[in-house]
This record gives sequence, structure tokens and C-alpha cells, in this order.
Amino acid sequence: MLTVSVKWQKELFSNVEIDTSQTPYVFKCQLYDLTGVPPERQKIMVKGGLLKDDADWSTVGVKQGQKLMMMGTADEIVKAPEKGPLFAEDLPEEELVVNVGHSAGLINLGNTCYMNSTIQCLHLVPELKSALIKYPPPVRSNAVDQSSHLLAVTTRDLFNELDRNVKPVAPMRFLSALRSKYPQFAQLQNGLYMQQDAEECWSQLLFTLSSCLKSSGSSEDAAADTVKRLFGIDLVSRVHCAESGEESTETESVYSLKCHISQEVNHLHEGLRHGLKSELEKASPSLGRSAIYVKDSRINDLPRYLTIQFVRFFWKRETNQKAKILRKVNYPLELDVLDFCSDDLRKRLEVPRKILRDEEGKKFGLKTKQNSSASTDIDVKMSDAEGPSNVSGNSSESAAGEEKEKHLTGIYDLVAVLTHKGRSADSGHYVAWVKQENGKWIQFDDDNPILQREEDITKLSGGGDWHMAYICMYKARDVSI
Amino acid sequence: MPHEQNILGLNFTNSEEDLALKQQLELYVERVQDSDPGLQKVALESMRSCTFELVEAWQEIRTSTSSMTSVPKPLKFLRPHYGTLQTHYEKMAESDLKKLLADILSVLALTMSPEGERASLKYRLLGSDGDIGSWGHEYVRNLAGEISQEYAKRQSEEAPIDDLMELVVQIVAFHMKHNAEPEAVDLLMEVEDLDLLVEHVDSANYKRTCLYLTSSAKYLPGPDDMLVLDIAHTIYMKFEEYPRALQIALYLDNMQYVKQLFTTCNDIQKKRQFCFILARQGITFELDEEMCAEDEEREALQEIINNTKLSEGYLTLARDIEVMEPKSPEDIYKAHLIDGRGSGGGTVDSARQNLAATFVNAFVNAGFGQDKLMTVPSEASSGSSSTSWLFKNKEHGKASAAASLGMILLWDVDSGLAQLDKYFHSTDTHVISGALLGVGIVNCGVKNDCDPALALLAEYVDKEDSSTRIGAIMGLGLAYAGSQNEQIRSKLMPLLGDGKSSLDVIAFTAISLGLVYVGSCNEEVAQAIIFALMDRSEAEMGEPLTRFLSLGLGLLYLGKQESVEATAEVSKTFNEKIRKHCDMTLLSCAYAGTGNVLKVQHFLGQCAQHLEKGETFQGPAVLGIAMVAMAEELGLDMAIRSLEHLLQYGEQNIRKAVPLALGLLCISNPKVNVMDTLSRLSHDADTEVAMAAIISLGLIGAGTNNARIAGMLRNLSSYYYKDASLLFCVRIAQGLVHLGKGLMTLSPYHSERFLMSPTALAGLVTLLHACLDMKAIILGKYHYVLYFLVLAMQPRMLLTVDENLKPLSVPVRVGQAVDVVGQAGRPKTITGFQTHSTPVLLSAGDRAELATEKYIPLSPILEGFVILKENPDYREDN
Repeated sequence: MLTVSVKWQKELFSNVEIDTSQTPYVFKCQLYDLTGVPPERQKIMVKGGLLKDDADWSTVGVKQGQKLMMMGTADEIVKAPEKGPLFAEDLPEEELVVNVGHSAGLINLGNTCYMNSTIQCLHLVPELKSALIKYPPPVRSNAVDQSSHLLAVTTRDLFNELDRNVKPVAPMRFLSALRSKYPQFAQLQNGLYMQQDAEECWSQLLFTLSSCLKSSGSSEDAAADTVKRLFGIDLVSRVHCAESGEESTETESVYSLKCHISQEVNHLHEGLRHGLKSELEKASPSLGRSAIYVKDSRINDLPRYLTIQFVRFFWKRETNQKAKILRKVNYPLELDVLDFCSDDLRKRLEVPRKILRDEEGKKFGLKTKQNSSASTDIDVKMSDAEGPSNVSGNSSESAAGEEKEKHLTGIYDLVAVLTHKGRSADSGHYVAWVKQENGKWIQFDDDNPILQREEDITKLSGGGDWHMAYICMYKARDVSI
Repeated sequence: MPHEQNILGLNFTNSEEDLALKQQLELYVERVQDSDPGLQKVALESMRSCTFELVEAWQEIRTSTSSMTSVPKPLKFLRPHYGTLQTHYEKMAESDLKKLLADILSVLALTMSPEGERASLKYRLLGSDGDIGSWGHEYVRNLAGEISQEYAKRQSEEAPIDDLMELVVQIVAFHMKHNAEPEAVDLLMEVEDLDLLVEHVDSANYKRTCLYLTSSAKYLPGPDDMLVLDIAHTIYMKFEEYPRALQIALYLDNMQYVKQLFTTCNDIQKKRQFCFILARQGITFELDEEMCAEDEEREALQEIINNTKLSEGYLTLARDIEVMEPKSPEDIYKAHLIDGRGSGGGTVDSARQNLAATFVNAFVNAGFGQDKLMTVPSEASSGSSSTSWLFKNKEHGKASAAASLGMILLWDVDSGLAQLDKYFHSTDTHVISGALLGVGIVNCGVKNDCDPALALLAEYVDKEDSSTRIGAIMGLGLAYAGSQNEQIRSKLMPLLGDGKSSLDVIAFTAISLGLVYVGSCNEEVAQAIIFALMDRSEAEMGEPLTRFLSLGLGLLYLGKQESVEATAEVSKTFNEKIRKHCDMTLLSCAYAGTGNVLKVQHFLGQCAQHLEKGETFQGPAVLGIAMVAMAEELGLDMAIRSLEHLLQYGEQNIRKAVPLALGLLCISNPKVNVMDTLSRLSHDADTEVAMAAIISLGLIGAGTNNARIAGMLRNLSSYYYKDASLLFCVRIAQGLVHLGKGLMTLSPYHSERFLMSPTALAGLVTLLHACLDMKAIILGKYHYVLYFLVLAMQPRMLLTVDENLKPLSVPVRVGQAVDVVGQAGRPKTITGFQTHSTPVLLSAGDRAELATEKYIPLSPILEGFVILKENPDYREDN
């Protein structure tokens, strides 16, 4: 019979008796009573060795009063979770995009930055993407010519490719489709493809997509003109002739608002006001000659995505090129177009605007909870500053099906800027600055996506030789009623 | 010049008096040459007294103005007659007079004799042998200089030196009495008879003498330095300055002296202090009955040596500074301070980033026993959060994650083992491997009677799975580093010769054996590693891991200088792929911490070579520069400058090693110039250079919480946010900067930078060698080599305890240490100090002194654990 002391964690059990005639297993059972650690989980250390269950005490060489150390817990054994976590390193490339937080860049195929930047801007519109996915419809109408169809298909494919890749994509097929549809983009200069005007590319592309998607939807309903619903702005204009006092009303639908730049324009608002007012000379039926008419337009219906073009280029006869106005025109991150709306539209906007105001007020009161539940992946800082826009962005996605309940408010958030750097439209460099779903701004400089800070986005307002905004795209902040 | 007159007390500045004196002296000179011996004697006597008096006056000027502005007049006036007197001396017959003249000539020769003639010494030996000091300090100094020259000459001619030694005894006695200990030591070193010193030191000057001895030892070549330190040890023992004697014994790695110390000293409190010093050095030392008769007392002392108090003391410090709250990796990254581009906003976990977070968490919370990832109380969530974090790491990442628990519970063996236990029952081999490694980490630097690490790890060494084996092998290496434990050797050595073991198992076995037998020159282990190296196939020779074999071999000779030569010869027969690499590694290890300038030059020479094909030896050569030069400040600064040059002219394989060398030189000591260099390199176009620079930024800032480095690293994290490998390095560096929440240091030097812990250096060197090939090792699946740093981790604290070893708070002044070597009097040892109450943190280059007279520290060096005893003479004065 020996007595030893056993140290277990921070406890010391002194005077533990060992019956040397029994196996160490019996001793372990003794310790089980003391510590609650089952014998099979016990590790007893004797001078650099472990005590085996069936060892012989005489060979172990335990001495009277010796201190033994026991290791072991009754804790639960570590088990691997059923479903291991997913690691970015294991993901196939397309899923990695989610992780990178932005889609791929586009390779410049020789002065195609105008096209790349346009694609990047339009690519951010999820509704356009989903509309394109359904294209072409099973029954294709003949309203669309082959080259337009091809352009729509390649656009769809290119969008898909951008979503699936992390590495830059080369938009070969799209480019050839574009050039076959619009040969002006295939102009050569000194044997090289020329730089083109991004705005032209933008509007032509939208026009084609519009016609394709419209025709595809024609089988169901005429109202399903996706492109128009997304980008179309209905204008109601009062054409007034001061001389004769004639007055008439016209309505038209455009894809973008123009921001005219003149001496007194310093801000987008002023430019837009200019753009909506124009003078034109036309034959006056009452005067029997041409007279000056003033055309004063107001917005009658708003799109989900408001496109604004800065009219920075004008045809300069002396140099025979589109010259550029470098004037600095500020634009806001949040745009309210109420001032430009017709009375009718204003009335319609009244209720949604009130609701939005209430919601926002509520959010600033108790914003923390909602944010985290609404968007888990969004960086905390961004959701603090950008709370409202994120929530609206998310909800518009999730509720894409139930459009009916969405109401526009006339308030828009900046989501993309297409900038130009250089002195004329046919030269220089076009770059797209796009806000991602996670709230981060990415500068897509052809194949190179660069993370940018939001405050730097508003610095693209011109007035120097830095990149300056040419086309801005705003996204509607809507409310569901 | 009235001022000068007053000092001289003699009015011969007046030109008339000058003239009179001159004439008088000239008369004397004439009379000396007279044939009348009577007249001669008078003349000589008066000339002597006159000169003597004036020399004294001159001495007075020297001491009061401390610069010689004019040659004393008598000497000046006698100068023209030096030749005359000399010729007359030759003609004189042997007599007392002749001796007198010799005395005067000896003094005159001080200024007159041409360089190298040693006339002063010659006449002194021929002279009357009077009191040497009567001619003043300058004379003695000059004489000492001539003696050393003469000694060297006679040594080469093998001529007798007895007459010289007689003079030396006089000079030494004079110097030691007149606060000129450095001169005395210098002279004795020149004449190679330091033993003489012991007789002449007294309680007033032994401290300065020993300080000069110990600091000059760093600049002495070969066996001389050991000799000098030996003398210092003897002196310290003579004056019962035991802690200092112990330090020197440790420096000399002389365990016999340590034993002697324990047997001679009878004060139990002092013995306890010795044990704390031994524990800091991290060596294994067994007390026996002779050293401490009382059983219980001995056990208590042995516990201190075994470092069991370390965890407790560290936590006391942490509680006092109020940093117990665990920190999460996010608290370290501080992403909110980076504008715009934060860390990736992805929703999917990145295994690489989670692994980085695991290491950051381990480094930051090291030794605190709690964190926010691994040790969350199990009742908090039924899913047990620690489990979930463990499984947020991928494959081999789980090994590092499980091992990180060991790091968090560092030094606390009891709780550490209890918490690691659950991993032992896992079915995942990586988790088991991590648990084994964790056991090793917990036991690092702490010894326990029951040898739990050996008991637990031994059986896993022979398992099938190689990752489990590596975990156990590395764990043993960490737990028993420096112990020279026979059992470990018999367990590990067979693995080296086992043909079935994979290369990584063999590589880690070599490192572990190197660590366990660090600096032991053990031949059997060396043989085993050499054979293992020779057995490698041609293909394996090129593998990065093969280099661990030569490093393991090198560690055996760490700091042992010439002892490496036999092995180095053998290494010349190795396969050419590894030959030079091995040679460099051996050499750099053997001369590590010696400051040997010749070796630094040798390494620089190697770096100057232009390499044709993929040879790798220049990496270890660059590290070698740092390892050798890190010994003392002066060499260190020179090495930093030399490395700058290598950076400019070196090729890629040199450039990538330079940041690492800088990291070692300034470890845990963020010098601004090095910080700037590394910051520049961290943006280098070559990724390997950038990665090395980033890791080194972490090393130089390790445990300092240095805000500037932290800011640099934050910016780097946003700069490299797209590059996973570089970002991983940035994260590791961030973890290192906040090592132990800023309470730790990685510096292997301690005790006022006098002693170097060999295990700590071994750990650092192993990591740096691994960093020479980042991609294959740290960024590959052997990232757990980062845990080798645990060997160097020590709290950078001063914890004062009372005689019952309970923490005792006293005011201390902490300031930048001042070099007081060779200064007379009692100069201030610190500057720019602040007064704190213990426990306090000490930064690199800091020194502390007690700000109260109430207690007397038992160790003159206030670092680590210091026992205070009450001052019996202290009186409260109000």
C-alpha cells in the first residue's frame, strides 16, 4: 500500500492510496470518484511516462509520497461540425466573385474603353440582367433583325461572364456584334480602331436592347418594355411661342436627361433646368412663318434608373472634332428631381415621399437592429452612413417580382459614374465607377477593378484634367406601400 | 595670466623669474657634468627637487583644468640639455647619482624621446626605483604604454620580463588607488597577467573594475575574453557580489561556477534570487543536497528554476496594467481606421485569413489564459464556440488553431493540459497534431517534475500519420529546448535514420534535436543529423525543408565558436547542393552572439560572390551577419549599415534575407532608421523581399505596441488587400507587434543586454531560416513554424517581490540606460527617467533603479523577478 498525491488541474489530492496488488485501472477508478473523469479519459503521468491500465506497479516505480500528475477532463469531446465551413480558397471561380465583392474587369481590345465602361455601368442594373436572361423568348418575332438579336444575346452572355469571373474578361463576341450592328464603331484611323463616344455607345446599346426586349415581350403584354420601364423618362413639354401666343403640349420619352453646361452652371440642378428648357425655331401656323418657340419640359414619369448625361462635348468646326467643356459641375450622391416634375407627377409622389421620410426618421432613431438583420454582409461602417440606400437596394432586389407595390419617390442615389479623361470625345480614356451591392465603389479601369472611397466619387466633377463625369446613373429610392 | 599664477603658486610666469630659473637649471646641468661628485650630487638633488616640485605643480594644473595647456617650465628649460645629460649619463660611473640622473632623464624622455625608443622606460629601469606616482599621472601612463610595447618585444625575443613585471605591479597599484581602473586593466591585459588585479581591487573600486572587464570582454578575441570574465568572476566572488558572479558564470556557460555559488552562499533569499536569474536564462539546472541541504527549501528553489512562477508573475503584471480583457484579431487589425478599403467584405470565410486570425489571436493573447476565439467558456453556447473556431480552419490550419490554445495558456501547464485534453480525443489527425504541439508550447520554458510533455507526446512520435508525428516532435523540441534530455534523444534519434520517415518528419526531428541539445556540441546527435543529411536523395537536397537539417546541426554548436570546426570539415563532403548552405549555417550558428568581426567579414565576402545557378547559401550568410553582430551595440550599428549596402548591390537571394537580418538585429527594439528601411522594402517590387520586410516589421516591433509600426501595417493591409499571401504576412506582423498585448519581448538578450538565452536565439533563428523560403514553408502547410517564436517570448517586466515571494509594489525610476563604463565616481546610470511603481514594463535599452531607500534589491539588475529585502538602516524621515 502506497500513498501518493495526485495533481489534477489546479487541485491537489494528497494521500491517495494505491493498492499495489491491483492493476492501475483500479487506481484510476479511485481517481474517477475524486475527479469525475472516467478512467479511459485519464492520463496519469509518472516521471515522463504514462500509466498504462494493465501495468505492473512494481515496474512503474512509484515511490511513497510521490507526486503524480493527472490530465483529463469530463468535457465533451471535440467533434467536427456536420457541415464544415466553406472557404474562399475552395470555391470555384464563379463563386469567388461574391467573396471578392465586385465583378470582373474587361480587357481593352484596342480603344474599347468607351464600350467597357458602358458595359460596366449597365451591368450593375440587376433588372436588366434578369430581363436578358429570359432572352430570347421561345417564340421569336421577326421584328428584330439578326444583328440586333446577336447584340442582345452577346450582351446577355457578357453579363453572365462578368458575374462568373474574377479574372478580366475579353468581350470579343460582344464587340464584333456591336460593330456589325453599328458600323460606326468599327471606324479605323491609321489602321487602328478609333476611340468612340461612350454616350453614343450607351444610347445605341440601350436602343437595341429596348427593341429586342420589347419585341420579345410583345407576345405577352405591350407594357413589358423592360428597358423603357427601367430607363425611360416621360417628358411633358409645353411649347410656347411668345410672338404668337400659341401654346401646345407634347409628350416624349427619352432615355436620359441632359445636363447642359454653360457659364452659369455650377451644379447638376442648374444644368438639368437648362436642359429641360430649349428654344426651337419652327413654322408657326398662325404667323405663317418660322418663329421662336420655347419648349419647357417637365418630367411626367420617372424611371427606376435615372441616367443623366453631361453635355460636355460639342462639335467644334475649327478643329473638326467633338471638343470638351472642362467646367466643373458638381453632382450630389443623392438627387431629388421633384423640382423637374410635372404637377401630376408631384401629386403621385406625395404619399410615397411622406412614407419614405417617416421610414428614414425611424431608422435614424433606431437604426442599429434593422441594419444588421437586413444586410449581414455589408460592412458596418457603410451601413451606418448609407443605411437607407442599402436597404432600398436590397429590398428592390428581393421584391423584383412584386413591382406593383413599389412606388418611386423622386429621390435617387448615385450608383454609377462614367467618366472621361482627355480633351475630346474621340480621344482620351473612359472609365466606369460603379457602386457594388455591398456598398463599395469600384473603379473599373478596363481590366483593373480598383476599390475607391465614396468621397472620391464626387470629386469627378471636372474642372481639371482628372477623370470627369460624363454620364451619371442614379437609382431610385422607392418605398413599398 | 593671474589665474595660472594662482594655481601654480609659483611666480615663474613672469619672464624675469623664468630667466632666473632657466639660468639656474643651466647651471645645474653644467655642474652635473662637473667632475666633483659632491657638486654633482647637490646639482642633481636640487634639479630633481626643482623638477619634482614643478611637475607636481603641473599635475595640479592638469587635474584642475584637465587639459595640458603648456609644458611645465623646468621640463621646457631642460629640454635643450636632454642630449647633454644623456651623453653625460653614459659616461658616469655606477652610483646613486647615476640613478638620480636616470630618474630625471626618464621624466625628460617623456617628451623628448622619439616614438618607439621607450627611453622613459629604459631610464626608469635604470633609475632609483622610487615612488612611481611622484612624477604624476602622465608619466605613469606613458610608462605603461612603453611597458606594453616592450613586453610585446620581449615576448617575441623570449627575453625575461621580471623587471617589467615589478614595474607593472607598481603601476597597477598606483592606478587602482587613483580611480584609473581602466588603465590598470589595460596594462595588465597587455602584459597578460590579469591575476594581479585581484590583489589590488578593494570594495571601493571592484565594481568599476569588473564593469570595465566585462564590457571590454566583448571586444577581445579568442580565449582572452573568457580569461577576462573569469577574473571578473573571481573578483565578484571575492566581494560577495553573487548575482553578478552568477551572470558571468552563465555567460561563460560554466555550471561548475553556478554550483560553487550555491554552495558558498548561505542566504536563502539570495539563493532564491539566483534561481530567478537561472530561470530567466532558461537553462536546465538541478539542485542537489550539497547546494541546498533542506529538502523542502530545495524543492521550492527548484520550482523557481523550473519557471513555475512565470505565469503567475506575468498575470500579476497584466492585472496591474489592466490588460486582462481578451482581444480579438479585429481589435488588432483596427479596420475602421483604414478609410475606404477595409478588409475584404466577402461573406465566405477565407481559410488563409482565418489562419492569420488564429495566429494573431494566439500571439496577442499569449499567456493570458483567455481569448475570444479558442477559450470561450463551453456553457456559453452549447455548440462550444472554441470548437467552431477550430473548424473554421482548413486541414493543416486546424493544427495551428489547436496549438494556439497552448499559446494562450502559455506557461500555465495545469490549465493548459486540462484545456488541450479535449483535442486528444478528436478523430481529426490535424487536431491531434495541434494538440500535441500545444502541449509542447504550454511547457515551453517551464519544467515539471512529472514531465507531462514527454509522457504525452512520446507515444505519438512513432505514429503513422506524418502530421501527427511532426506535432509531437516539434512539441518535444519546444518543451525540452536546451534541456539535453537523454530520453528525448533516444526517442528522436532513431527517426533520423529511419528510411520510411518522410522528409518533413526528418527535418522537424533535426530541428527538435537541435533545440534540445542547443549549444551542447553533442557528437552523437551531430552524427545522426549528418548521416540523415547524407542519406537524402538528389531530389530531396533541393527541397526547402532539407535546410532544416543543416540548421538543426548548426543549433548544436550555437555560440560555441571553434568547437564547430570538425563538423564543418565533415560538411564539406556533402552533396554540392547543400554543401555551402550547410557551411554557412554552421558557421553563423557557431559564432552567433560573439560579435566576431572576422566572421562578419567572412559572411560579407560570401555575399559579394556572384552566383551562377540556384545556390541558396547567401541567405544564411546574410542572417549570419546579424547573428554574429547582434552581440553588442557598436557592431550592431555597423552591421545595419553593411546590410544597407547589400540591399543596394546584392542579388535577389541576398535582398530577401536582408530584411530578416535587420529584424533579428533590432528584435523587439524598433529603431527608427531600421523601421524606415523596412517600410520602404515592404513595398518592394519583389514579393519575397516585401514579405520578409513585413514579417521583420513585426519582429522589430514585437511586443512593443509601437504605434508607428501598427500604422504602417494597417496601411499595408489596405495596400495588399488583394494579395492573400502578403496580407497573411501583414496580419502575422500585426499580431507580433501586439505580442502579449505589448507585455512581451522577443529579444534573446536580457540582464542589461549582457546575457543571451541560447534557446531564445535558437527559436528566432529557426523561424528566420523558415522565412528564407516563405512560399514553401510559412505560406505552405508548415505555418506552425511560427510557434518557434515561443522560445524567445518573455515578459519584459520588472516584478518586485518580498521575501515571501509575494508581489510588492515599490516606486522605481525607469529610464534610458547610460553607458558608464570607464567613468570615475558614481555617474548616473539612467537618463530621462520616470517614476512608476512596480510591476513595470521595461522597453529595449531601459534600466530601472529603486526610488526608495526602504528596500534593498537582491539583484543589482532590476529585471524580471527581483526579491527586495527591507533596509535595516532605513529611517522614515518626515
